[in-house]
Amino acid sequence: MIVQNVLHRPVRTAITLIGVAVEVTLVIIVVGLTSGLLTETAKRTEGVGADVMVQPPSASIFMAFSGAPMPIAIGAKLEELEYVQSVAPVLVQFNSVNGLDIVYGIQPESFRSVSGGFVVYSGTELQDPNDILIDDVYARAKKVRVGQTLHILEHDFHVAGIVEHGKGARLFVLMSTLQEMSGAHDKASVFFIKCDRSDHTAAVTDEISGLLPRYEIRALKDYISLMTSSNLPGLGAFINVMISIAVAIGFLVTFLSMYTTIIERTREIGVLKSLGASKSYIVQIILSETTLLCFTGAVGGVGLSYLMRTIVLRIFPSLTILITLKWIALAGLIAVAGGLLGATYPAWLASRKDPVEALSYD
Amino acid sequence: MEPILKTENLWKVYRTGKMDVPALRGVSISILPGEFVSIMGPSGCGKSTLLHVIGGLAQATSGRVLLDGNDLTTMNDAARTLLRRHKVGFVFQRFNLLPTLDTYHNIVLAQHIHGNGFDPHRFEAVANLLGLSERLHHKPSELSGGEQQRVALARAIISEPKIVLADEPTGNLDTKSSATVLALLRQLNKDLGQTIVMITHNPDAATYGDRVLHMRDGLVVDGSAAQS
Repeated sequence: MIVQNVLHRPVRTAITLIGVAVEVTLVIIVVGLTSGLLTETAKRTEGVGADVMVQPPSASIFMAFSGAPMPIAIGAKLEELEYVQSVAPVLVQFNSVNGLDIVYGIQPESFRSVSGGFVVYSGTELQDPNDILIDDVYARAKKVRVGQTLHILEHDFHVAGIVEHGKGARLFVLMSTLQEMSGAHDKASVFFIKCDRSDHTAAVTDEISGLLPRYEIRALKDYISLMTSSNLPGLGAFINVMISIAVAIGFLVTFLSMYTTIIERTREIGVLKSLGASKSYIVQIILSETTLLCFTGAVGGVGLSYLMRTIVLRIFPSLTILITLKWIALAGLIAVAGGLLGATYPAWLASRKDPVEALSYD
Repeated sequence: MEPILKTENLWKVYRTGKMDVPALRGVSISILPGEFVSIMGPSGCGKSTLLHVIGGLAQATSGRVLLDGNDLTTMNDAARTLLRRHKVGFVFQRFNLLPTLDTYHNIVLAQHIHGNGFDPHRFEAVANLLGLSERLHHKPSELSGGEQQRVALARAIISEPKIVLADEPTGNLDTKSSATVLALLRQLNKDLGQTIVMITHNPDAATYGDRVLHMRDGLVVDGSAAQS
């Protein structure tokens, strides 16, 4: 009877399924987009190849949000520490023109000594003060080629080369140029440190803690685990708000759908009551229909999420949308729970209908 | 013989705004097991209300309704629901089949609600008796009025109720289909000993019963043997 009832009203069923699918898609895409961006950023930072990173006191792990650069002279002291092989100072700037990007100001030699150097796909490395290196993902997304002029940070850069992605940022300029532009002479935002052996990371971290108390000193292998929405102020709240909106959509769609259906089926409810159906039997029918609708809608929502991801990534190739089994399951559960909550009142209303009135309903 | 259904000074008063409108004004009837009783009367005389109260669909305002020894007037909604499930079968003027279900599932639904599970032998016997064997996989919209009422009849008796309450069962049927349905009711009564209470406007239909009760203004004013 449950399946027949659902199939008997195709328009209502379709609207409910779409509502639930949109709810699930919204949850999966919002969470996937934020966690994708975080994970991708973490992997890129890890891809620098350093063992330890040093930031100023109270600096965020999200380097784009950290100001307060450190004196570059600290780098020389860090190089003197035991087990330290090389140190690369980097000045980080956040570009919001034509998209949101992190720009690394680097010293090519020190950055090469820590990261092992860029894999250059075309063009050359940084040579001229106005040169900029872009990674292949950025080049593909923005359709930028070597030799073109790129206007970022209110400055015209000459695209010197396209390099393989995965070395911290997507855009690299000379540190001296970025220092000049931002008025941060002899300053750096972060020091990437390469140890002579990776198992000396803890020893180096301890050494730096002694040398620079209060500074943020992090082993890069721990970096990914720190890149969560809860560590970015406001992001957790943003995700919660988006999930709440999604749940509200699912709740309202299911509520209206089931409310409409019990009005339409008043006479049927009267018939069931005349046959001796209990209140719980009628509630069970309504909630079973809801569960079937929400589950089917959730499955559709998962499919829609993958479709949306394909479309979004085709339009914005530099984005990352991480769809995980955990969030597929959670989004499905949220949809079913929200739907059941939305159907509870209509189900209760149906179970309390007076059988005589219900039987005479036209 | 103990009556299967007995009402004593049965009142049902509806409140409309600040007005009390009595639909039943002290109805006392007695129906024996295996009887086929027709109830006649003009519109608004309380026939349907009486059927609803004796079937446990509505609560009486005062008086007593004894159905198979159970006093419905002392029962709450849940207890009356349980009693309907096990002891009463309804047939309505508008058939009231579930439009999403085919004949088979409309009938089986009653067994499902009854809770004793599907009894294939009973189902086959009822389907054959009512001539529905060839129409089991048709939905109500694919059946004639007469066929729909036969399905409703099958649904009413599939769980072997103590009493079948039929509210104008031929009111929506043409003459031929009416005769068929009435003959089937008569056959159920004669062959299976099914107790039936039938409301009708039609004097010819009323003659299918063993006796006819006449109602007027919420009271039974006359009870006589049917003139067939």
